[in-house]
Amino acid sequence: MSSLLVLDKVVKRFGGIVATNGLSFHVDRGESLALIGPNGAGKTTIFSLIMGEHRQNSGTIKLNGEEISHLPTHKRIQKGVARTYQVPRPFSEMDVAGNIRVGMMPDNLWKMITQSADPDAELTIARSVGFRDEDLLRKPSELSMGDLRKLELARTLAAKPEIMLLDEVFAGLTVGEIEQISDLLAQKRKEGLTYIIVSHDLRALEPLVDRAVAMTFGRAIAEGSFIEVMDDEAVRSAYLGQ
Amino acid sequence: MLQVLIQGFLLSGLYALIAVGFTLIFSVGRVLNLAYGAYLMLGGYAYFYSVQTLGMPKLPGFLFATGMGALAGVLMYRLLVKRLKGDQVAVEISTLILAVVIQAGVVLVFNDSSKILHPIVGGVWRIGSTTITNNILVAMVASWIILGGLLLFVKKTHVGRAMQAVSMDAKGARISGINTDRVNMMTWAISGALGSVAGVFFASYTQLNPSMWVAPLIIAVAVVIVGGIGSIVGTLIVAHIIGFMEIITTTFIAAELRGVFTMLLIIGVLVIRPQGLFGRGDL
Amino acid sequence: MARPLLGWAIFAVAMLLLPQFVSNGTLRIIIFANFLAIFAMSWDFISGKTGYISFGHPFLIGIGAYTSAILSYRFGMPVSLSIPLAVLATMVGGTLFFLPALRIKGTYFALVTLAFMELMYQLVQVIRPDLTGGTRGISGIKTILSGAAPNFYLSFGLMFAIGLALWLLSRTRLGTALDAISMNEEAVSGSGLNTTRLKLFAFMVSALVAGLGGAFYVHYLGSIAPRALFDINFVFTIIVSVLIGGSATIIGPIMGAFFMTFLLEYLRPLLPGSERYLVYGMIALVLYVYQPKGIMQILKNLSLRTRGPQTGRSGNV
Repeated sequence: MSSLLVLDKVVKRFGGIVATNGLSFHVDRGESLALIGPNGAGKTTIFSLIMGEHRQNSGTIKLNGEEISHLPTHKRIQKGVARTYQVPRPFSEMDVAGNIRVGMMPDNLWKMITQSADPDAELTIARSVGFRDEDLLRKPSELSMGDLRKLELARTLAAKPEIMLLDEVFAGLTVGEIEQISDLLAQKRKEGLTYIIVSHDLRALEPLVDRAVAMTFGRAIAEGSFIEVMDDEAVRSAYLGQ
Repeated sequence: MLQVLIQGFLLSGLYALIAVGFTLIFSVGRVLNLAYGAYLMLGGYAYFYSVQTLGMPKLPGFLFATGMGALAGVLMYRLLVKRLKGDQVAVEISTLILAVVIQAGVVLVFNDSSKILHPIVGGVWRIGSTTITNNILVAMVASWIILGGLLLFVKKTHVGRAMQAVSMDAKGARISGINTDRVNMMTWAISGALGSVAGVFFASYTQLNPSMWVAPLIIAVAVVIVGGIGSIVGTLIVAHIIGFMEIITTTFIAAELRGVFTMLLIIGVLVIRPQGLFGRGDL
Repeated sequence: MARPLLGWAIFAVAMLLLPQFVSNGTLRIIIFANFLAIFAMSWDFISGKTGYISFGHPFLIGIGAYTSAILSYRFGMPVSLSIPLAVLATMVGGTLFFLPALRIKGTYFALVTLAFMELMYQLVQVIRPDLTGGTRGISGIKTILSGAAPNFYLSFGLMFAIGLALWLLSRTRLGTALDAISMNEEAVSGSGLNTTRLKLFAFMVSALVAGLGGAFYVHYLGSIAPRALFDINFVFTIIVSVLIGGSATIIGPIMGAFFMTFLLEYLRPLLPGSERYLVYGMIALVLYVYQPKGIMQILKNLSLRTRGPQTGRSGNV
């Protein structure tokens, strides 16, 4: 089986700083991967490179066997990859339904004008991340951090990605909210969603992934099952700061 | 050639003076004050009223104008900018509206005919075939002194350093105990004062009329945009580029095209290099 | 959907009956309000919807007005041909206007558009004054109709058609997407949408409306002069109309344009000169700082207060 997403020797420099240094890894279809490492290891940079928010200096990024490095962000999403952000970025003056509506839109002006929105599909997606029906009319300013994360997930899911990049989905959440989001991801995983997840909450991460890649200073230092990676000598020293 | 050189330096000096107060607000408060041109108008009219209508001596008249500018700055900050909480576009729109309101206010008080301001300093100089009025010469010298003084103020004084800190990182400055609100208010006051000083010179160079605020505003905008965010030295350099280009255009091409270069410069720099030619300098 | 459409219909009927009841003087004021509403809607479609603030809208309006004026006055072209060509020219100009929006936004974009307007103002006076009439402009341009009532019908018809079309357009998903751009452009492209194409579309629609408005306006006035057109006071009037009415709503700018026009007219006996702008500007400023979303939002809040919160799902308008 060919991999869904393959990064090969990806290098990204910001000025003199090397954010990723010849990083390679792959994700298979239906697989879930944790990307772990200390602050500044280059995890979020990887996400922005995959999404095309930044361009790598060298190396290739392939989705479904196709090189996507030259594509603008919106094209990559149409190819089947989407991400969430550490800080949720909803459309502040639209209600939950409106946010999901934008996520579901086809990238075609004519269809945007002639075909009207599908409230049932919006409701389905909202329910699938755990919103209640009455939440659809709420504005982002009325939502808790947990709900904002759900909204971010819903908006991203609305674009029907094959692979999702989840950036710190547990940050700033209460224990109860972490459990909710965690259950939600477990559910999506069962349904066959592929994702890469970045989090500092290793305990929450463990049951959610098939495999882990540990990185520091823009390089992968260990790869394997979550337990293997966490037991790795290099990983331990990187986390403990030598 | 000599004439172009001399006139270029004189005009550029005036332009630097016009732009510096605008730069100050942009770098410290991170907002564009489109009512900045109105300071110049207020300064010009305040000087006109006190000296030519009331017959006050020139120096108190000048101080009166400066004070009016500072007051206008403080009021703008307190009543408008602070309320909009740093929403840049809202500040821009509301200061533009304010500028038109002030223009209407000036018409109401002084009617809309143009007025001639007597030169602040009389007499002329002759260098070869070129005649220079002492007035614009003083404006240029004043401009250099004020810019130098401002640079010293920012680098050496406590308040100046606080302004610098806020301009680099407002949040960081607040955390380290700087009263950013007071620093902002001071900056608005200084900017207003500088604007009205520039206005007195500008008005004596051209004339007083209720729409006189637009041209200097555009010059200030051009200088800030092209020079990059809030660098005093950048302000000086770009004021000279614009001043000289205007004189060269007027002398060798056509007087009507004098502003075209400035506009093209604004558009070109913003589209090609939005951070400005000299990047993001500190104050 | 049905209720607002009924509102549009009532608005149309009321306005069409108006010439039976009011004087020609009042009609001429409303003609001006109609044109101002067109310009305000054009501005609203770029700036209100996508958040790209234009301080140089007269640049677009001016291209429309000048093109049609020159073609019909200098080259004797019939208005039925010069107006479509003028609209086309405005859309080309709109593309030019759009280029900076590829790279910059917010404050900087607004300033570029202001520079565009000033540039146009200076060029019109210098380049080919034999065509543009230089500083003095052109007068004696062909008018389409004569008399207050026919011109009222024409300007109202134009304004109404544009307003209804834009309003319907902004109720589609495309309108929602444009609104989303003003809130968070990155997240729109993060939803898989080509924001460049969306913005270009908004600019083209806005240019089309500005070109139509400018061309018809010049054939109503019969004259054109650069100072009155490429004027920051004109920009001010357009923006304030939108803000007072409520931006990104299409209906708001129409209300704002009428409100502002009548306010200016009623102030005329009290304050004959340009001092009226003082009162006008103060009202706009206070309203803007108090409620940046304008009259539409105030009305909405009032109706919420009197009728209680609405139940059921509402569309995003």
